[in-house]
Amino acid sequence: MGLAPAMSDVPQNAGYMVAAYVVTAVILVVYAVSLYRRTNTP
Amino acid sequence: MSLTQKGRWITVVALVCLAAVYVRALAFTPVERLQGPAQKIFYLHVPAAIWTETAMILVGLAGIFYLFLKDPRLDRFAEASAEVGTVFATIVLTTGPIWGKPIWGTWWTWDARLTSTLLLFFLYVGYLLVRGAVRDPVLRARYAAVLGICGMCLVPFIHMSVFLFRTLHPQPIILKPSAPSLPSSMLVTWLFSLAAFTLLYVGFVTQRYALSLVRDAHGGARPGHV
Repeated sequence: MGLAPAMSDVPQNAGYMVAAYVVTAVILVVYAVSLYRRTNTP
Repeated sequence: MSLTQKGRWITVVALVCLAAVYVRALAFTPVERLQGPAQKIFYLHVPAAIWTETAMILVGLAGIFYLFLKDPRLDRFAEASAEVGTVFATIVLTTGPIWGKPIWGTWWTWDARLTSTLLLFFLYVGYLLVRGAVRDPVLRARYAAVLGICGMCLVPFIHMSVFLFRTLHPQPIILKPSAPSLPSSMLVTWLFSLAAFTLLYVGFVTQRYALSLVRDAHGGARPGHV
C-alpha cells in the first residue's frame, strides 16, 4: 500500500462543490440582469 | 461611452473571467486530499468574503468623507458599494454552509466568525433599508454614512475573530503575516478568482453608481417608479 493515499481515501463530496458553484453563478447572473434591467428602464 | 456602458462591459469581462476561473478550478486544479472536491468552494468563498469586507470598508470611508465634504458623489458611491457588498455577502453566507456541511458536519454554528459575518450581512441590509426609508436626501446620506462607519468598524473584528476566539472556522491561510500555505497551482487559481471578483465589484459598482446618477437627475425618484 505504501504511504500514498488511495483514491478511495479522498472524500466523495463533489455534490456540495457543484451546488456552491451553481448558487454563486445564479446569484451573480441574477444581480447582473437586475442591474441591466434597472439601468435600461426609461 | 457612457458610465453605464462602461460598467456593463467591465461586468461582461468579469463574468467571462469568472467562467474561466470555474474551468480552471474544476478541471485543472488538484483536489485537496483531506477535504475532497468540496475544498474547491474556497476559490469562490474567500474572494467573495474579501470583497464583502472591502466593500463595507469603502462604504465606511465614503461615509466619513461625506460627513466632512458633503459631496453627493461619495454618498452615491457608498450606496453602490453597499448594494454590491450585500450581493457578495449573500454568496459568502450560502457557499460557507455548503462547504461547512461536508467538512464540519453541520451547516451552521454560532461561532464568532460566522456570527459576526451574519451581523455584517444584517448591517448591509439595514443600510439599504435606511436608504429606502428616508426621503430627505441630506438626512438619508447622513444616517447612511453613520451606519456605514459602524459597519466598517465591524470588519477588523470579523477578520481577527478567528484569533480572538476558539472558532470552528479555520484561520486564514492566505491573508496572514507568513507566506500562504497553499501549493502554487491552488494559489494561482485563487488569485485568478480574486481578480475576477475585483472586476465584478468594479463593474457592478460602476453600473449602480450610474443608476444613482440617473435617479438623482430625476429628482430622487427611481427611474420607472415616478
